Amino acid sequence: MKTKVPLIHSPPYKISVLNETALLVSFGNLIDTAINDRVIALHASLTRDPFPGFIESVPTYASLALFYDPLQVRINRAPHASAADFVESIIRQRIRSLQAEEGSVHKNLVTIPVYYNGEDLEWIACQKKLTSEEVIAIHCARTYRVFMIGFLPGFAYMGAVDQRIAVPRHAAPRTKVKAGSVGIAGSQTGIYPFDSPGGWQLIGQTPLRIFNANKNPVCLLAPGDEVQFISISKEKFEAQYEHPGS
Amino acid sequence: MSIRVLKQGILASVQSLPRNGYRHLGIGSGGAMDAFAMQVANFLVGNEEDATVIEMHFPAPEILFLEDALISLAGADFDACAGEEPLPAWKPCFITKGSVLKCGKPVWGSKLYLAVRGGWEAEQWLGSRSTHLKVAAAGFRGRTFQKEDVIGFANQPAVSGKQISGWNITVPGLPEIYPEENRIRCIRGPEWSLLSEISKEAFGKETFAISNQSDRMGYRLTGSPMNQDQPVEMVSSPVDAGTVQLLPDGNLIVLMADHQTTGGYPRVASVLQADMPALAQLNPGNRFCFTIVEPRQAEEALISSKQNLQAIKERCLRYYQKHNPH
Repeated sequence: MKTKVPLIHSPPYKISVLNETALLVSFGNLIDTAINDRVIALHASLTRDPFPGFIESVPTYASLALFYDPLQVRINRAPHASAADFVESIIRQRIRSLQAEEGSVHKNLVTIPVYYNGEDLEWIACQKKLTSEEVIAIHCARTYRVFMIGFLPGFAYMGAVDQRIAVPRHAAPRTKVKAGSVGIAGSQTGIYPFDSPGGWQLIGQTPLRIFNANKNPVCLLAPGDEVQFISISKEKFEAQYEHPGS
Repeated sequence: MSIRVLKQGILASVQSLPRNGYRHLGIGSGGAMDAFAMQVANFLVGNEEDATVIEMHFPAPEILFLEDALISLAGADFDACAGEEPLPAWKPCFITKGSVLKCGKPVWGSKLYLAVRGGWEAEQWLGSRSTHLKVAAAGFRGRTFQKEDVIGFANQPAVSGKQISGWNITVPGLPEIYPEENRIRCIRGPEWSLLSEISKEAFGKETFAISNQSDRMGYRLTGSPMNQDQPVEMVSSPVDAGTVQLLPDGNLIVLMADHQTTGGYPRVASVLQADMPALAQLNPGNRFCFTIVEPRQAEEALISSKQNLQAIKERCLRYYQKHNPH
């Protein structure tokens, strides 16, 4: 369970201009759970209680982009002043009230079965002086937070991976990684939602379709979710396989 | 009521306004590369701005009209003809059943929009009909056109060729939107300060060219390499269409409509949304310069471009209301 950290002062942050329709709120440049909590809490607050002219917000590891329509903002609130200034004042207010929000962010625990047969599994074991079974056991031993989704529709950046199995990505990315492949890049772990080029070290494959355009929601994972990987056999993998065709 | 694709061309797809609200799931906004031409094409045939259009690149598809249609072309000049008749851009045209729309050569620009009265039939996905090629969703079967595809249009034209021949619809202000001298305005980005002093100086003075590695995701630029005083490792953070990123090799990339939602390269600048139509119309090999402006000017430019579009819409729709009260 997450403990609520009382914030006596607002956390340090910086607001900059991404462009004339988006401001960027940056809480740092780190992969850090406490920082990511603030990003996701701010995203939740804006999404739940949008202001006139708000379009959407995009949470990432340590920063959030807030997209708005300057024309709508001006019509509704500040006909002659700059929409950016007005939106900035809203962000500052929201961040001040984040303390109450932070503990209330709902987090799902999602279990993801993986058939650990990845092309890089043995290489990682060899590098780290472990057996493949130990690499699998370490990968399954903890839950991971979905820090953010990006790169591809539904690609969840998760962490942090145990340092005993953390390996850098391939210098030359593979031209095709199969949809469902589970990989490691540094202290991050992730799942490819589509066949795509990719440089992550592949340890296995999930039979689940983590992105499905015809489903609601389209993504199995959302920012802030917790993920538990479990190891499954080849037979179970084949029985549970959800990907179309290929 | 439909058209048939006789030759597929390259990258022709159904596009509309961007898809908002799903970037947090890695789903970018997409939509037409040149949103100005896309919307004006719609207004010219009496549609709302969110009707679907066909975005054509060169070589453009050859299209057989299986029915009379009221259409418009906007954006690039590809020397479009219906049979022997030249089809002028930026005005409504009546095209008769059995005519074949062909594009001869790229005269100017790189994206040509074809609108039809009532819009093209298209699937909607997450609130937009713009084709999402990666997910293979929305638009026409989630993909670009192929030979023999049949794309329907919604309504029969309620306006005749005779009627529109008397109309004097013009789109004012085109030279301001697509200036002859390619100057693209931008504001400094969140990581502008990472550029070395020499690169900051050069950014507004250098000429950049659009490289061959340019598509709906992004335009890679060639020019003198830019550099950072001290390379900084960045964790992934949001980006948008128009974001100018500094790549590790010192070259710049401008993200376009189908960009990824997040990125880990320094965002040194951002092209004004009001200037994205001009940038979208450039071809590989075309050269341009950046002009740096302040954020407040960028906001004013966006607001005037939206007001300009609204004025064009009202001017066009007045013709349709006058001739078709309902």
